[in-house]
Amino acid sequence: MSLAIETANLTRRFGTVTAVAGLNLSVRTGEIFGFLGPNGAGKTTTIRMLCGLLLPSEGTARVAGLDVRRDAEAIKRCVGYMPQRFSLYGDLTAEENLDFFAGVYRLSGQERRRRASETLARVGLADRRRELTEHLSGGLKQRLALACALVHSPSILFLDEPTAGADPPSRQRIWDLLYEAAAEGRTILVTTHYVEEAERCQTIGFMHRGRFIGLGSPEQCKAEMGEALLEVDALPVMQAAAVARRLDGVTGVSIYGHTLRVFAKTTTHLRHHLQEALVAQGVAVKSIRAVAPTLEDVFMSLTRGAQDDNGRG
Amino acid sequence: MLAVVGHVARKETRQILRDRRSLLLILVMPILLTFLFGKALETGELRQIPSVILNQDGSPESNVIVTAFSTYDEVQLQGEVATLQEAQDLLAQGKIKAAIVIPQGFMRQIETGEEAQLQLLLDGTDNNSAPIVEGVARRVIQRYNTERAIKGLWARGVRPDRGRRLIQPVFVHREIRYNPGLQYLSYVMPGVIGLTLQLLTVMLMAVTIPRERERGTLDQLMATPITRTELILGKLLPYFGISLLNVATILFVADRWFNVPVLERLPLLLALCALFVLSSLATGLLISTVSRSQFQAVQIAVFYILPVFMLSGAYAPIEAIPDYIRPISSLFPLMYFSRAVRAVTLRGAGLPLVWKDLVILGGFVLILLYWAVLSFRKRVA
Ligand SMILES: Nc1ncnc2c1ncn2[C@@H]1O[C@H](COP(=O)(O)OP(=O)(O)O)[C@@H](O)[C@H]1O
Ligand SMILES: [Mg+2]
Repeated sequence: MSLAIETANLTRRFGTVTAVAGLNLSVRTGEIFGFLGPNGAGKTTTIRMLCGLLLPSEGTARVAGLDVRRDAEAIKRCVGYMPQRFSLYGDLTAEENLDFFAGVYRLSGQERRRRASETLARVGLADRRRELTEHLSGGLKQRLALACALVHSPSILFLDEPTAGADPPSRQRIWDLLYEAAAEGRTILVTTHYVEEAERCQTIGFMHRGRFIGLGSPEQCKAEMGEALLEVDALPVMQAAAVARRLDGVTGVSIYGHTLRVFAKTTTHLRHHLQEALVAQGVAVKSIRAVAPTLEDVFMSLTRGAQDDNGRG
Repeated sequence: MLAVVGHVARKETRQILRDRRSLLLILVMPILLTFLFGKALETGELRQIPSVILNQDGSPESNVIVTAFSTYDEVQLQGEVATLQEAQDLLAQGKIKAAIVIPQGFMRQIETGEEAQLQLLLDGTDNNSAPIVEGVARRVIQRYNTERAIKGLWARGVRPDRGRRLIQPVFVHREIRYNPGLQYLSYVMPGVIGLTLQLLTVMLMAVTIPRERERGTLDQLMATPITRTELILGKLLPYFGISLLNVATILFVADRWFNVPVLERLPLLLALCALFVLSSLATGLLISTVSRSQFQAVQIAVFYILPVFMLSGAYAPIEAIPDYIRPISSLFPLMYFSRAVRAVTLRGAGLPLVWKDLVILGGFVLILLYWAVLSFRKRVA
């Protein structure tokens, strides 16, 4: 299968800060690739390099078979970009914004007007097209920005946190649109820090401090998590967490309502040790059982691992 | 290429028209500025310099002198003071610019053939008024001397008309071509027009790209295949349109209230204004491409316009600027503009006399635009 995006050792430094540190990325044509990572991980910087907005400090990147250093302008013709921050003209109407960008993408006359109104209708903004963009709600602005990235039928879409701050229905709406675009054969690279959104991607890259600390399909990621996981139902939960954290072999504990999720190198003896320690401290244990990790667990595990590595290095 | 320029221009026009308050300011400010600058300079030439008289002699002859002073518009006599101290105090307080002192014994000295003096006490901080008062005093005294001499000769039997010839055998005859009223205002109006146009266009244009940068819209725009030339030209066009409106209103004000003969050479003046405005807009665009923020753009614009005010010969003849500074002056389009407009409005010059300035202004437009395109970066290194 052909690659829509391919980078080797892609690096970007800002002064002494290395925002992207030797990224090797392959995105297959037609897939939805999710960048997951905390703020400052380097997601935006990577996208801006791939869109030809920022020059890499080192390494190479090819988008749609074109080199980002040499052919940035050619790349721009066949990719759509939705920046993290809303970047359309607030003092133009939704329709005027789309019409302008369609024009700038060199769609001519009839074609331009047709694409603009089609795309507006597609994102559900047809009846709001005469409104000034600055008066639209956050969710509608995001859909308009998506329309703007789609108006010239790009083969690759770069979406930087397209659902940030949106309520669940708006988020669902945007994901429906992304699936629709993917079904048309467009490649989508989308960043997010909502773990449950990553589940929707075919491939996930966990980014941390400018590099991937995990890469693969959601199923792969879960299967390959290098730690065991116990779910503990105990009361009081805060005290149980404190006990678990002190136990040898435990690498991390997260609290979810009335239950704990306890990460460890291995669970072989841990279960008993944990049970004993909890009871000894007067914690009422209802159940302790080994469970399959969710993506969120994988994310927690990976970030913790990366932080430990950094601490040691 | 042209289609995209059109799209950018249309988008800018919409944005300009929607920002009603700024639009009003853009259209009214030039009229106001021309008016204010013009009026400020107009009163500058018909100055009535506040002065007092200290008549220590109090004689018939000294009264003749006082009366003579009161016939000149340049000095505005605030009245008489009694002591020198009083005159000095008024001068120190800045209430008057000059005191005219007729010392005691003035008449006696004249009658006995001693040297009599008229004394002037002048405030040198205002270097315009002092020479004017001095000039008036010289004329008063010369007339007094002449009249006295004629009377003296008549007493010896020489008739007054013959006496006048003896005393003043030579007269200066002057014929002033161009600007016969010797009005500073007529001289300076082209500079005022140029400065007003420049101030507005440079400022307006300088903030356009930083504004998009601050609002984040530049990011979206840079992700499209728009070329730098398309963006620059697309932004230039609508502002050129507005500036032409401003040219029209400014020329109207200049013609209607400041006696600038606009209609006589309208096409030539319009061509000069159009090219000059384009060069200013291009300067603004250049500033726009190198500024990170609107604030920085305004700062750079001010740093550009200040020397223009001083060095371009808009207010004072370029010849008054020292030779070694003049090469700098020649870098400002305003210098060629005010020179050419002056030639047209004061001397009625036509195309044969100002085509060179037109060509130079055109050259500025091309170079500055090209420079602006080159200095604009679509991608951050
Ligand atoms: N223009 C810039 N100048 C300096 N540092 C920057 C710039 N852009 C990003 N960075 C830094 O690079 C790192 C990665 O940022 P970014 O790519 O925005 O992360 P993310 O999108 O994953 O939140 C951060 O530490 C950020 O401070
Ligand atoms: Mg980001």
